[in-house]
Formats: sequence, C-alpha cells, structure tokens
Amino acid sequence: MDLNRRAVIALALAAPLVLAGRPARAAGRPDTAREVILTWHRLILELVRHTPTYSPPVASRGFAYIGITAHEAMAQGDPALRSLAGQLTDLAPLPPPPPGGLDTPCVVHAALQAVVQAMFANTGPTGQRAMASMSEAMGRLAAQGMAAEVVARSVAQGRAIAAHVLAWAATDGGAVVENLGFPRDYTPGSRPQDWVPTSLVQLQQAPLLPDWGRNRPFALPSAAACGLPPPPVYDATPGSPFHAAALEVVTVSRALTDEQKLIARFWSDDPMLSPTPPGHWIAILTQIAARDRLPPEVIAAALARLGVAQADAFIACWVTKFEFNLLRPVTYIRRHIDPAWEPLLITPPHPEYPSGHSSQSSAAATALTAIFGADFAFDNSTHVADGLPVRRFPSFAAAAAEAAMSRLYGGIHYRFGNEAGQAQGACVGAHAAGLRTEA
Amino acid sequence: MIRWPGLLLLGLLLAASPALAEPVVPIFADETAAAGIATVYDGDWDYMVGGGAASFDCSGDGFPELFLSGGARPSTLYRNRSTPGGALAFERTDAITLDAVLGAYPLDIDSDGVMDLVLLRLGENRLLRGLGDCRFADAGAAWGFDGGDAWSTAFAAIWERGQDWPTLAIGNYLDRNEDAFPWGSCTANWLHRPDGDGFAPPIPLLPSFCALSMLFTDWNRSGQPALRVSNDREYYKGGQEQMWHLAPGAPPREYTEAEGWQRLRIWGMGIASADITLDGYPDYFLTSMADNKLQVLKDPASGRPEYADIALARGVTAHRPYTGGDLNPSTAWHAQFADANNDGRLDLFIAKGNVARMPDFAARDPNNLLLQARDGTFVEAGDRAGVASMKIGRGALLTDFNLDGRLDLVVVNRWEPATLWRSVGALDGGWVQVRLARPGANRDAIGAVIEIRRGALVERHEIAAGGGHASGAAGWLHFGLGAAESAELRVIWPDGSIGDWHRLPGGTFQILAPGAAPRAWHPG
Repeated sequence: MDLNRRAVIALALAAPLVLAGRPARAAGRPDTAREVILTWHRLILELVRHTPTYSPPVASRGFAYIGITAHEAMAQGDPALRSLAGQLTDLAPLPPPPPGGLDTPCVVHAALQAVVQAMFANTGPTGQRAMASMSEAMGRLAAQGMAAEVVARSVAQGRAIAAHVLAWAATDGGAVVENLGFPRDYTPGSRPQDWVPTSLVQLQQAPLLPDWGRNRPFALPSAAACGLPPPPVYDATPGSPFHAAALEVVTVSRALTDEQKLIARFWSDDPMLSPTPPGHWIAILTQIAARDRLPPEVIAAALARLGVAQADAFIACWVTKFEFNLLRPVTYIRRHIDPAWEPLLITPPHPEYPSGHSSQSSAAATALTAIFGADFAFDNSTHVADGLPVRRFPSFAAAAAEAAMSRLYGGIHYRFGNEAGQAQGACVGAHAAGLRTEA
Repeated sequence: MIRWPGLLLLGLLLAASPALAEPVVPIFADETAAAGIATVYDGDWDYMVGGGAASFDCSGDGFPELFLSGGARPSTLYRNRSTPGGALAFERTDAITLDAVLGAYPLDIDSDGVMDLVLLRLGENRLLRGLGDCRFADAGAAWGFDGGDAWSTAFAAIWERGQDWPTLAIGNYLDRNEDAFPWGSCTANWLHRPDGDGFAPPIPLLPSFCALSMLFTDWNRSGQPALRVSNDREYYKGGQEQMWHLAPGAPPREYTEAEGWQRLRIWGMGIASADITLDGYPDYFLTSMADNKLQVLKDPASGRPEYADIALARGVTAHRPYTGGDLNPSTAWHAQFADANNDGRLDLFIAKGNVARMPDFAARDPNNLLLQARDGTFVEAGDRAGVASMKIGRGALLTDFNLDGRLDLVVVNRWEPATLWRSVGALDGGWVQVRLARPGANRDAIGAVIEIRRGALVERHEIAAGGGHASGAAGWLHFGLGAAESAELRVIWPDGSIGDWHRLPGGTFQILAPGAAPRAWHPG
C-alpha cells in the first residue's frame, strides 16, 4: 500500500470522529449508502455507454448533475457538509429537510433514482428495464430494516432534491440534444485551415454539438474563462511549425510500439463503445471508492467536484474548438503529406484544437488531486470487460498526461492540441477544485 | 434568362441521358388484407429483435408459401393460392403454430427434396422436417439436434466440402435473464456440424458478440466459404464484426487483425451480399442504426479481408427517413439485394423500424427501396414505389409470390400485422428465374455461384442460406434482364465444377442441374 492511499484511508477512518457532533443520520448506515451510490453509478456508466445521445460532452453534463445530486442528498441537514448552492451558477438553495428523521441511504437512493430516470429517459428498452430493476433492488436495499414513515419521508426528500436539480439543469442550454448532437444543416468553413468532416458516416458530415460552448458553466465564471491562444498558423509549407506538427503525427503513427497502441486504445473511450472519456474518470473514482471503502459523503462530494470539472472542461473546450475551427491531422496529412495515411483511432467528428480528452482529463486530474493528493497511486480497470488490461498510474496527473499523449498515438490530434487542452483543463479544474463540500 | 420551355427541354435531355436516367420505379400495391395475411410479430422486450419471414414451396406447385414468425404469439404458415400474374392470395394453415419464434429459414436439411424449416426461438430452436403437402414434423430428436435454450437471432447454413449434411450456424443474443446489467452478457453462438444422418453436439463459436445476422460466403473466391457474423454493439463488450475460418474438419477460427480483418463495431442487424461493384467478389451491406455500411474488398489480390465502406459514395447510407417528416436517425433491419424493376441492376430493399419507442430514433421510419442507377449509385424510391410503410419493420423478403416475373414484397412488423405488397407496375425489362437442382446431398446447391454474362461483364451471385434479419427464402432465383431478351448464364456448383454457359430465354422459369441442359418449367 502506498503512502497516499494510507493517508486517505486514515482520513476516511477519522471522518466519523471528526463528524461526531453531527446528527446521527450522516454517519448512519454508511455501507448501505456507499453501495447505493456505487451500484447506481455502475448502472449510470452503462447507460451512458448505451444511450445514443450520450456523446462525451453530453455525458459530462449528466455526470455533473448526478454527482451534484448525490452530494446534495448527502449534505441535506448535515452541518458537516456544505451545499453547492450559491457556489454553482444559478443553483438556488435546495429544499430544506422536513421535520423528523431522514435515512441517508433512502434519501440518496430516491434522489439518484429520480435524476437518473430523468437524465436517461431517452435510453432504449434495455436501459429502461435495467433502471426499473435497479430502482427496485436499491430501493429494497435502502429501506431494509427502516420504519415505513422514515422511508416515505426520506424518499420524498430525495425526490425533491432531484426535482430541484433537474429544474436547474433544464435551463443550462444542454438539456435538448437533437439528431444525436449533429446539426441537420451545416455550412463548412472555407479557409484552408477550417475543419472538414473526416468520416464517411452521413450523420457526421456536420460537427458534433457546435453550440455546446454556449451552455451555462457550473463553476467557471464564464464559458470563456479558460480560453486559449491560437494554434500555430496554418501553413502547408514543409518545415513550417504547422507542417512539422502534422509530420510528427505521421512519424509517430508509423513507429507505434505495442505499448503506444495499447495506450491509444485504452484512452480511446469511444461513445457507444465505452463510458466515454468523462465516464472513464468517473469509473476511476468509483474503483478507488470501492477499493478503499470511502465514506459515502466523500464519494458523493468527489463525484460532484469531478463531474463539475469535466462538464466545465467540455464547455470551455467547445468554446475554443469552434473559435478556431481547426482541421484534423487526417485532413492535413492527406492533403499535404500522404494521401493514403490512416490514423490508428477513429477521428472524432469535431474540430481539433484543443484536444477534448486532454482538456477534460486534465480538469479531472486537477479535481481528484485536490481531494486525494498529488501522488495518489491507483489501478485503472475501466476497460477490463472490453479486453483491455488494468493500467497502474502513480498519480492522477500521470494518467491525464497519458490520456493526452494517447491522442497523438491515435493520430487524431497534433501535440500542440494536446498540450493546449491540458493547460485549459488545469485552469478549469482549479475552479472545480475550489468548490467547498465541507462546512 | 432560361424560359420554362427551355427548362423542360433541358429536363427531357437529362432524362434521356443514359448516365443520368432515373431507374424505372416499380409500383407496389398493398394486398395484405385481401391476401389474408394477418400475422402480428408480438411480444415485449425479448422480442425487440427478430421478426422473420420465410418463403419456400412446400406444396409442390412451384409457388412459394409464406411463413411468418409471431414472436410471443403463434406463428403462421400461409399456403400460396395465387395464380400466375394474379392478385396475391394465401390460405392460412395450422401446420406450424409454434410461439416464441423469432426467425425462420427454409433448408432441405436431409436432402430428400422436400423443404425443411429452421425456426429460431426464444428457448429451444426447432428443425421441422417437411413431409410434403405443407405438413411438418419436429425432427430435432431424430437428427440429434440440440435446440438449446437461448435467445436465437441469426442463422446460416452451408454444406462443408465432403459432407452430406449441412453445417448450421446459429447466432444467439444476450442472456435474457440478466435484468440490471445485461450488457456484456452475450451468449455463445453455435456451430452444428453434421454427424452421420444428423448433427453433433454444437460447438460454441467463442467469442460471441450478440449476433443478429450470419452468412456463409466465399469472400475471397478460395472455394472455402467463411462465416461472417454481424453483431449488435449495444450488448457486447470487447466485440466487433466477425468472420470465421471454417476449414473442413478443423475447428472454426476467427479471422484476426494480423490477417487483415479490421475492427468494425456497429449495431449490426442484417447482412445482404451481392457483387455490386462487379469486381467478381461479394460486397456486403450491413444494417445498423443511423448510417448503414456497404463494404467492398479493397484489394482482392492481397488476399486480405480489408474492406472499404462505400455507402456514402453509392448513396445507400439510408441513415434517416426520406419521407414522412421524422428527421431522427433510422433503424435498419432486414436488407436484400434484388432487381426490383428488372432493369438488370441489383437494387436494395431495407426494412426499417424503431427498436421500440426510442425517442432519439425515428418513430416514423419508412422502408427503403434504393434503385441502382446506371452509374452504380442508388436512388431512393420507397415512397414512389408505395412501400414506405411507417410501421415498425423487422424481417422481410422480396419474392415473386405470383410468379409473374416481378418481385413482390413482405415485411414483418412489430406489434402490427405483416404487410404484403404485390408488384403491379410496368417494369423496365425482362427476367428469368432459375432453380438449382443437384442429385444427392445439398439438392438446392447452397454455396453455388451463378454467373451471368452481360456484354463484357460477368456478374457473380452466391447462393446462400442465411443472412438478412431472421428471414430466408428458398426457391426461384430471380434475375432481371433489362433490354436483353435472354440471359447467358452458368453455374459453378458447390463442388467447384463449372457448368456450361446456357442462353435462357427471358420470361421463363428454368431448372438447372449439373451436366444437363436447362429444363423449362411453367407455373400453373
């Protein structure tokens, strides 16, 4: 066991002592509350993978609201915890707890059930069936051994929290996703550096969610708060900085080691085939939470801060992507270097600069580092079921750096797009890291 | 300024230009009710896929009967009472009323000259032996067939070299008992190889990735068919589209990336195959949600199964409704290449319909009838042809039910009766229909190739049992002739022997046997 893991466990073990003066409900049945949160999130990761509108930006939004809901459900009436109302843009104070005792697992379950069913109302018949099954199983687990009136009161309060969050979410600009996020009408730019479609898929002849940057951010003061300088000037001349950046993509792609190919695929996180990049980081957190049996209030707060960091990162990133509208490596390389060049990964259907995965991974790492520490080692088993091995990382920053490099290995980003994304993500993540979840 | 008469002249000139001329649109009339078709593909979550049709002659009169799977309801075998060129007429029988049937494929398993029927079911699959006069008996036990207990959703069959009995491939879907976490629970596909006059215990085709269509195909013209499997990415983990080596007597083996197999992950629901590019190698249309794929071999000389997707270039992405006002992405199921307007070029029919009530996909999702133009692109004509049904389609078949040389159409619908259309319009050319008849095993010559010479070009048509979505046909093989008055045609039989070229007059039915002159057949 490494030092930082020990430190977190010590913190977790100490937490009940620190919070001894709180009402009994916060410490009540932590194992059950943990199981409710983690089991629901196991399903949420599947729903993200299997709900066609859940492209990475949309997924990040969903994770943010669900994490916030979990935290607010835990924080209600708990003087040791602090609501995010007043800290997140336009989030009004949550409904106060009713008189009488509440049961934390029942509140959390009811809140998660309601918010998940609303966020994934458009999932397919199998997802609907799974949500119904999960609702029944988690409801039964949460209510086990509890007085009926406490259960009823707690469920009502959980639903009220979810309703409050959902009403807030409805006004952020990202609630409606049509045509799987692709505009039905799109006029491509006419400059040589402009993004053009890279896919043979008809639906993807327009870029994904070009207006996502207009969404209301969570903790960022504005969507443009973490803007970036322009990318290198477009130039087709051999030897120019832009040409050199593209040539590096080609050179790297032609000499990929097996390890580099594995890294590219490990962080590929394709929508509909994985829990998406933000889901990858949610999976990292839930794996740590299960491994270390973290207290449920710590898990919920971390889910909220991680969710906010990633959602804001996508908003900021999409502002920049459509500000510069830069073409992908595959387009430039086929025009100017090698007409037959093929990247290892499927090029995502949106502009290059900056790398979204780099931005949100950096934001995620910043938020998680603020919670767990700078040298917190962990195993990442997110893709084991898909046949990819467990990868071990010495820190969240190391994982984020590898995620960024994976896009160069995959041939879908220039190095400068990855580096800019990392810088942007660090800026965004700092805002999420600054959120206070404890009183 | 161009005046209207000028525009009209320009339009006429364009219409007359061979390169730009629109294909003739076949006209279909809905004769469902009049023909007595009333089978609903019903059921809840565990019938969201499937919904197959089978056409084959079990009465011996040459007219194809129609079997429709009923899902949770009883299935139905309809006896064909049509007359040549007349209105479609079917008589409902009680010959096969099994429930829990998802798909059906005709196959003369025991090579006795009477068509048998493979039923894919939720639960135990069944092999029904044809007894003549459209009577059937369960032959599973007699043939040593283990029907298993799964959610069976795909089928293909081939006679492996040297075998008197077929090899049956059955694709299975997910574990239907998984409630909260069904994803990643794909159950094993099965390969039923022959053992004497029957079948050995099934070999699990692992890994399996929730197959919704399977097809034996000689993709590289090696004479050794491989098994393509189209898989539903909704449920697999670590999965992809698959192709299996199937060397006689050897265990099945997946094609690998090192051999050139490229990873493709789609909501695979149906496979249709034809040599659309006329390069002598089969191309594959794969149905999915939103965009569909048309795969062509990149470099046949390389011997590597590397495919390019030309769906966008050929106009067959069929990714969203083209009529009806619903702009959400489509959901495609059964696909079939056939010459619907007899112009000598293969067209493409795709059955469409929402999985259930998924709001991000079209609720009003019309079937596609994509007619191939002279330049190889396809033109949508489903609405003009009258087959743009907004019902929730699944399986389908383009079959000439009244033996008039025009392909009719049946589409199985979820929660509503199947729809039956008769092709009633004037078409753009002649036709010929042939039936292959071998002595001994594999009487219908599954695995054969029919070659048609059209000028300098030779088209190759693989004769397969399987593919599509839960639907299969046996019987007359229809070829449009365009302006030609006859067809120049030969058969490469499953044993590799090459038959003579024959010139078959248009408008005729011909039975072809190895080493024999074509034998004309007349309906009625």
